[in-house]
Amino acid sequence: MGMLTTSGLSVSFGGKRAVDSFDLDVKAGSLVGLIGPNGAGKTTTIDAITGFVPAQGSVLFDGTDISGLSSTMRARTGLGRTWQSSELFDDLTVMENLQVASERVDVRGFLRDLFRPRNDDVSELMVILESLDLADSADVLPTDLSHGQRKLVGVARALAAKPKVLCMDEPAAGLDTEESQTLGGRIRALVDGGLSVLLIDHDMGLVLTICDYLYVLDFGQLIAEGTPAEIRANSKVITAYLGERHGGGSDPTGDDGAPVDGAPVGEVGVGE
Amino acid sequence: MSTTSASSWLTPKRIPALVAGILGVVLLIVVFANADQTQAIVLGLGGGALIAAIALSITLNYQGSGVVNFAAGAIAMYGGYVYYGLRVNGQLFLPPIPNPLAPIEGIAHLAGASSFSLPHIPVFITLAHPGQGAAAFGTFVQQPAMPVWAALVISLAVLVLLGLAFHFLIFRPLRRAPVLAKVVASVGLFIVMQAVIVLRFTSSAKSVAPILPSRPVHFPRGVSLPSDQMYLVLIVIVVTIGLWALFRFTRFGLATRAASENEKGALVLGYSPDFLAGVNWVASTVLAGFFGILAAPINQSIDPITITLLIVPALAAALLARFNSFIVTMAAGLGIGMLVSWIQLVSNKSWFPKAGGSALPGLTDALPFVIIIVVLALRGKSLPTRGSIETIKLPFAPRSKGAFPATMVLGLATIALLFVVTPIWRLSIVNSLVGMVICLSLVVLTGYVGQISLMQMALAGIAGFTLSKVADAHHIPFPIGPLLGATAAVVVGLLAGVPALRVRGVNLAVVTFAAAVTIQNLIFANPSWSGLKGASVNSPSIFGFRFGQNDPWTKLTGGGKGLLPNPWFGVFCVIVVMLLALAVVNIRRSRIGRHMLAVRANERAAAAAGVSVSGTKVLAFGVAAFIAGIGGALSGYRFGSVTAGYFGAIPSMIFLAYAYLGGISSVSGAMVGGIIVAGGILTTVFTNWLHISEQYTLLLAGIGLIIMAIQNPKGVAGAIRDGVHMIRRRRDAKGAVSSSGADSVPVEVAV
Ligand SMILES: Nc1ncnc2c1ncn2[C@@H]1O[C@H](COP(=O)(O)OP(=O)(O)O)[C@@H](O)[C@H]1O
Ligand SMILES: [Mg+2]
Repeated sequence: MGMLTTSGLSVSFGGKRAVDSFDLDVKAGSLVGLIGPNGAGKTTTIDAITGFVPAQGSVLFDGTDISGLSSTMRARTGLGRTWQSSELFDDLTVMENLQVASERVDVRGFLRDLFRPRNDDVSELMVILESLDLADSADVLPTDLSHGQRKLVGVARALAAKPKVLCMDEPAAGLDTEESQTLGGRIRALVDGGLSVLLIDHDMGLVLTICDYLYVLDFGQLIAEGTPAEIRANSKVITAYLGERHGGGSDPTGDDGAPVDGAPVGEVGVGE
Repeated sequence: MSTTSASSWLTPKRIPALVAGILGVVLLIVVFANADQTQAIVLGLGGGALIAAIALSITLNYQGSGVVNFAAGAIAMYGGYVYYGLRVNGQLFLPPIPNPLAPIEGIAHLAGASSFSLPHIPVFITLAHPGQGAAAFGTFVQQPAMPVWAALVISLAVLVLLGLAFHFLIFRPLRRAPVLAKVVASVGLFIVMQAVIVLRFTSSAKSVAPILPSRPVHFPRGVSLPSDQMYLVLIVIVVTIGLWALFRFTRFGLATRAASENEKGALVLGYSPDFLAGVNWVASTVLAGFFGILAAPINQSIDPITITLLIVPALAAALLARFNSFIVTMAAGLGIGMLVSWIQLVSNKSWFPKAGGSALPGLTDALPFVIIIVVLALRGKSLPTRGSIETIKLPFAPRSKGAFPATMVLGLATIALLFVVTPIWRLSIVNSLVGMVICLSLVVLTGYVGQISLMQMALAGIAGFTLSKVADAHHIPFPIGPLLGATAAVVVGLLAGVPALRVRGVNLAVVTFAAAVTIQNLIFANPSWSGLKGASVNSPSIFGFRFGQNDPWTKLTGGGKGLLPNPWFGVFCVIVVMLLALAVVNIRRSRIGRHMLAVRANERAAAAAGVSVSGTKVLAFGVAAFIAGIGGALSGYRFGSVTAGYFGAIPSMIFLAYAYLGGISSVSGAMVGGIIVAGGILTTVFTNWLHISEQYTLLLAGIGLIIMAIQNPKGVAGAIRDGVHMIRRRRDAKGAVSSSGADSVPVEVAV
């Protein structure tokens, strides 16, 4: 039994099926990749799992059905996510961004804070920032960071909530090859430390090297699944990625409605 | 708009309209069984036509430039006054134009040269002189100065110019701004138009002669309708069909529709979106203003408020039509007008809710509010959908450093000042302190959580009325009374706030404004609550020490009675402001503050971080209502009474303007906001030192709000903060090698 299991997960937008009957399984302590061309339904899958879009089908988290829970409650049970376009809280410092995710508010604490705000302990969060080389930026506003650093802050914020499963939406998009490899190493380290990860990325090189298992989506349909070696050899995947219909058709947008700045899929060597 | 799912016409989106339609039909069947009810419904057509026209103007604006124009009713009212001035007095009034010579004159007066006078900018341009009239019905009636057609033509020309001015001066610079910035600008426009009319014509009603012929037109079953109302309905129908045809069949209309979806669409059709927006602004201004002119005579009088507030039913009608269909907008407008008229009729029936023996007032205003809240709550989602995020860029909310010593120093200095200044200044300090409390409530709700509220003064009023009618009436002693009032404000704030959890951005502004109008008319204007003079509030006392505004007091040095107002009341206000200010600073410094700013920045990301978005909003609504309630209790004590005019929808808008101008995201901004409120310290500087009339405060607040919306600065407090920060940096740079100080976050310097 996996940490995160979906069965028959479907999402439609005005009659159009963005995700169609998707069965996915993330085993405890494993790194599972979810790949597919732009507009394939990857982000929508994460949205459905984390409760940001109404979906049919069931989502089991650590054995319990969470499909009735709000996104907040899903996050609190230990289902974390990052966003394709970081979505940081720009008015808060990097450390405060992490604190939002790690701290709960209750009425008693709130009343006490009105008179005497607690000095919340941030040492654990500092450890997270250090592990991502962000320690120097703790008191900086996200708007003053580079794109790569912002993406890392997004990951750090998700980790601050101490998730059991982390869904990452293109954490390496917009990073250069070196940054992206470092990030890959870090994700792998997290998984080796016991975290279960569902990773979306366009960087096929990255995904094929670090993942334990892969799912491939196209037009909302699962077209292949298997180990990296199996996926490399899969002819359907190769056509989906190198086929003619690329470059047109879908209108991929980031979560803020802006065009996604990910690397074009076709360029990545699939069969290497 | 999705037209893809043709398979089923019963989409969830259509349910509200469907339910409204079914209810309407049922009501019609019930009502037409009865002749006098039929008559009442038909008599609602005139009012409905005006609502429909304002709603059409809103829809037109929305289509043309994406603005939800809160000022559409004010524009109709303004049009009515332009015509009134011309027709009755033969004068075209000018909006106040700042006179650069006025401050010079003020300084001269200050120096003692009280007869010194420099030229003034004219207020009216006289085009014709009123003739002398004969006595009619025992009163002296003035002959109108100008024929109808001339007054009408000039009025329409003025409206065209106004539309152009709105476009070029306000909304064109805002064309790429977030929708909410446009709303804030339109609130500013509302305040400005209202202030200009009050400055030129005072706020009392003026009587106007009819334009359209008025004689009864008879229908079957004994129903009749005055012909002027009938013409009004016919005109609105013709205009609607015209607009429909224009948008359906002409390139211009197609281009406007295309532009409202995306800018390129219009360019393809050969129009610049800017041109389209401009034309639509002119059209919508002329439309609203023209109906204001035609409709004012139906009530035989015009005042600055009645037509202005028709914005609420008009927004309800436009919302029902999704700011999209002209025909539905018109039908909804007429329908609301008829329903209102019907409610007025049945309010005489025995089963109708009563207050103090007479029918409960304000239920007619509750109707559009109910429509708005039902439609929006059904359509809304508790989290925004992907890509639909629409936020206003709010100024940075700094974490205060050294707030405690700064508050103590400022507080003690103010207390000392209260005992030495003259009564006029003492009064203005108290007014500013009360204003600061209301502004603090907006800092929490709008500044920290990003929820625009146009009902804070109505909530303050709830507390004031509770203090008067519940606490005082039952002899509940001082500290408990105002707290009880504030609790009542929290209850009402949450009642209005909870449905608003599914509503955000512009729609939230609409909901809260409708709530404010409803509270104002349903509760404050309730004759059994507030008489003509308002409901009285007993002065506060503790251990037998009375410290109300007008309680006598003994001087600290030398003994003897001091001049009123009593400075001890000011001391009380200072203590309240200090406590609340520190609490609001602490909110920002603690967990809840971070959660609030997270919700303000990005609701979806906040939810993914485990923040309860609804919980945070509810808490903010509650805290803000509590603070506003304390402000309401203070102002009750300050005036010794609470009145409907002081608390309500329009004051709520105006306070948003003050808070915005001061700096809505910080406590120091609320302090500045309090200083600039009408009757506050700045007003006294204006009137006492610069000899600028107090009435200009409002006008300046409205203009300031518009400028803020366009320039998006951080408010006065933010500007001061930046200045101080820059000086510090420079000083630091001179000293040791600057460390990471330059890129660390600016903290609020308590000023
Ligand atoms: N809120 C929405 N409304 C309508 N269509 C959407 C919405 N969100 C995503 N889609 C559509 O669903 C499809 C899948 O999108 P997405 O999940 O973003 O793909 P990916 O992340 O794989 O690039 C796309 O065709 C996209 O246009
Ligand atoms: Mg995506």
